[in-house]
Formats: sequence, C-alpha cells, structure tokens
Amino acid sequence: MSAIINVDNLCKTFVTAEKQRGLGGSLRSLLRPVRREVQAVKNITFAVEEGERLAFIGPNGAGKSTTIKMLTGILHPTSGTAQVLGKVPWRERQELAYEIGTVFGQKSQLWYHLPPADSFELLSRIYELERSAYRQRMDELVGLFEIGEYLHTPVRKLSLGERMRCEIAASLLHRPRILFLDEPTIGLDVVVKQRIRDLILELNQREGVTVFLTSHDAGDVEVLCKRAMVINHGEVIYDGRVSMLKRDYIHSKAISLKLGEPWRGFDHPGVCVLKQKGYGVKLQVDTAVASIEEVIARLLARYTVVDINVDNPPMEEIIARIYQVEGREDTQADG
Amino acid sequence: MIRYGFVLLTAARQQLAYRAEFAMRAISMALFMGVFMALWSTAYGVSGRSELASYGLVDIVWYLAMTETIVLSASRVFVEISEAVRAGDLTYTLVRPLSYPFYQVANSLGGSAPRFALNLAVAAAVVTVGLGRVGGSLAGLAAFLGLAVLAMLLDALVAVLIGLAAFWIEETTPIFWIYQKLLFTIGGLFLPLEMFPAWLQDLARWLPFQLITYAPARAFVDFDPAFVLRAAGMQLAYIAVLTLLLLGVWGRAKRRLVIHGG
Repeated sequence: MSAIINVDNLCKTFVTAEKQRGLGGSLRSLLRPVRREVQAVKNITFAVEEGERLAFIGPNGAGKSTTIKMLTGILHPTSGTAQVLGKVPWRERQELAYEIGTVFGQKSQLWYHLPPADSFELLSRIYELERSAYRQRMDELVGLFEIGEYLHTPVRKLSLGERMRCEIAASLLHRPRILFLDEPTIGLDVVVKQRIRDLILELNQREGVTVFLTSHDAGDVEVLCKRAMVINHGEVIYDGRVSMLKRDYIHSKAISLKLGEPWRGFDHPGVCVLKQKGYGVKLQVDTAVASIEEVIARLLARYTVVDINVDNPPMEEIIARIYQVEGREDTQADG
Repeated sequence: MIRYGFVLLTAARQQLAYRAEFAMRAISMALFMGVFMALWSTAYGVSGRSELASYGLVDIVWYLAMTETIVLSASRVFVEISEAVRAGDLTYTLVRPLSYPFYQVANSLGGSAPRFALNLAVAAAVVTVGLGRVGGSLAGLAAFLGLAVLAMLLDALVAVLIGLAAFWIEETTPIFWIYQKLLFTIGGLFLPLEMFPAWLQDLARWLPFQLITYAPARAFVDFDPAFVLRAAGMQLAYIAVLTLLLLGVWGRAKRRLVIHGG
C-alpha cells in the first residue's frame, strides 16, 4: 500500500470583516473596516493510504470542511503543501476531478426540478464516459443503492434519504479512486444513516475506494472507519485507530427512552439518570462498567417502552476527554 | 465544448419545469406588446406621419417585439452566482472537470433558450393579430435568429461577470440594474438608434449594448446583409473581449474564494 494523500503543514487563514454594533458602528465599518484573521486550519500533517477508511471528526467549525475543500482543490491554502493522487489539488483541480468523488451532505449536486436520471446523464457527459461504460456503471449503482424506482422522479419530490443515496451514487459514476464525504449523514434518521454507512462500507470493500469522511457524529466513525483523526480549532488532536479512540476516550453512551408508564427508577451499576421529565428519561451508561445490550434488556424487562434511542456522547465531550487525558488545555474552548 | 453543450441542454430542461413561471411570462409579454402597440398607434396617428426615422408603424411594433423577446429572455444567472458566492456554495461546480465561468455561461444560455422561444412565439402572435400584418422577411428572420444567438451569448457573459462581482462587493443587483437600464436606453430597447440625436447615435453604435437589442431587431425589420455582417463582426469582437475579461476576473476571484463552513 502507498500513500495517495500527503498533507504537510497545511494552513488556511480566512480574513473576515467584523461588523460593529449599531448604526454608528455600521458607518465606521463602512469607512474603516475592521478585519479579523481566523485560522481555520493550523499546520495539519498526515498521510492516507490507498483503500483506507479515514474519519475526520470534530465539532462544527473545527476546520473539517476547509481541509476537504483544500484537498479537492476548491480552496487555496495559506501555506503548506498537499498532494492527492500525485497532484497538487488547487493547481490541478480539473485533472484531479476525474479521479475523486465528493459528497457534501448539506448541498446538492442534483438538478432540483429534474429527475436524478438527467443529472446522471449530464455527469456522464461532463466526465466523458463512454456510453456502454456509463450504462454498465449505472446498472451497478442502481442495483447497489436501490435507486431504480426514483430515477425518474424529480429530485424535489424525493425524501432526504432517497436524495442522499442518489447524491452518493452520482459522485461514484466516474469510478473515483478517492471518495470525499463531508457530513454525508447530516439530518438523516437513524435507519437511513445506517443504510448510508453500509453502502459506503460495501463500496470500499468492493471497489477499494479510499474513503475520507468528515462528521461530527461519532456513530459514523465507529461503524465506518478504522482510523480517525480528531480536529479541533484547526488542529489535529488525535490520529489513530478508531478502536483505540473508543477504548481510551468514548466511555459512555446515552439512552433516551419514552415510556408507556411513569418512571420508577432504575438501579444498575454504571448507569445514571441525566434527565427525567414525565414519561421521558435520558440515561448515561458507562460502557466500561455495563454493556449497552444488557442495560437495554433490563430496561425492557422493567418498563413498557414506547421509543428508544442510543446516542454517542457529543463530539465536544470526546474532545474534552482527549484534552483531559493528554493533560492539555483547550485554550480556545470559548472561541 | 460538448460538455458545456450538455450543461446548456440540462439547464434548458430545468427551465421547462417552471410551468407557472412560463404561463406568467407569456401573459406579461402579451400585455407589454398590447400596450406598446396601442402607444405607437396613437403616436403615429397624432404625428400624422406614416414613417418616423424611416420606421413605419408595422416596423416599429415588430422591432419592439424582437427587442422585448431578447430582453425578457436575458440571463438572470448573476443572481444564482452571487448567492452561491455569498453562501459559499460553489463547491459542486468546482469539483468538476469544468471551467466555472464557462459552465455558468452554458447554464445561463440554457435557461434563456426556452424563454426566448416562448417570448418570440407570444410576441409574434400578439403583434400579427393586433396589426393584422406580418413584419420583416424570411431573410430578416434568419438574420435575427443568428444575431440573437450571439446577443444572448454576449448577455450571458455580462451576467456571469456581474455575478462574479460578488467576490468583491456585497450586493450585485445595482450593477445589473445599471446594465439593464443601458440596454433599455442606448441599447435601443424602446427606440431604434435611428431615432436618437446624432451624437448619441454615434456613441451608441460603438458600445456593446445595441448589439444585444437593437442590431438583431433592426436586421429583422430591415434586412441588409452589410448591416448584419458588420453587427455579427462587432458581436464576435465583443464576445472575445468579454471572454478574456471573464477569464481574468475568474483568475482573481478564485484566489479570493472563501467558502464558509469549517
């Protein structure tokens, strides 16, 4: 295996104009704008091997998307270098585009009023695919993503989950070697999220596509990736195996329950009540002490449960733990 | 080039999906033409002359039908571009093996094409019924269509340039207004250049605005091969200049690209 992404001391600083308060402030800003530098990415260095599944995780505004945008050639870095498949992305953007696929969870590449089939057709022309190769690829993707039934329905009439499956299929049409996914599961419900994760995993195993994923959902990382990089305030604060991240830093999960009867308490080692109101309750489970399966089984035996959700701790909590364990301080915690 | 052709086709297809907007456009075009026919009929009646600056009533109404067809089909792509720049939403067009400005030119032309066909059909129908006469000639129609294609390309280049201005200024709509008003006035939307005072005619003839509105419409109502060739030559020259300008501006804009969302 060899590295297909090499990043060396990559930095990105944005200059933003700061607006002052009130009418006077607005006028002052107009005459003498106050500019502030925001360092979105600070000296990031890493390499990714071919066929790897890497998660780039961190809270909102940590610099994840900025990094992906530099690696896909959309943004120029302020300093540092990067090579993706031997190319400098921001200098060879169009050449690189043939070899990479991108999915931005909060944006759409499909033409809104047209059926996905029309967007696929256009993309096949943009990537100059041979007709027979295109048809064969379409058959594969339609089968894998099970999108046959909405291929001819206007995109505006699709659900978010249906649309997202089409979005990912669209970015795979030209058989990219690397798939960049920026928050692909954002806004999706649990079942659809899981389906999307399964599809990405299958794709990686079937076609050897390198997966570079950003997310602020620790669940994506757990299921999908072997390696995780945690980024906060533009700096990499953890780079290692997901299993180690889980072992060392993700020690708890939250169970949210909606009951069919009043709460009468629940006594179990490693479980504490975070919130309780009416028939709803939120519990925290220390996974080093109690297994989730066991706790759920006991809850179901004790109560009539109407709805149940298991969540990972929020990214902020994991990050706080990383700082704590490493004896570092989050100097910009409030920034 | 073929790739941009497919972008154009897809944009045209998407434009056809806006059925209600299409119906509204047809109605407003019919209203415009009805009002202007009545105004010009009164003007010619009051003046007591059959020709004004060599244009008869039939000529001037058909002239207006053609200029309105172009102006009402003109590109609005600057809105899409400026919003995308402000919201940092260029991502998907930038990860393609395409030139962003040329993609937007194709997108703009694709959006204009179905509007152009609709406007032309409605204007021609209203004017034919209202005047009881068909204007121009077949050669004039061919010349109009040829010059109108180049005019729409010129207009699309200007619209993309206005959209890209969003990299430097917050609001691009005022620039569009200025451009649009120049089309309306020295571009000859309402009055052909021949009706202008001499000094203004001399100035307007060298500017690109008349190439978008006046030249195609004049070629229709008064077909003259020498005029058509001169106009097409000027259009191509301005297209070349604007293309170079667009590439230059995009080169600078790319470096300013700030896409929000960390």
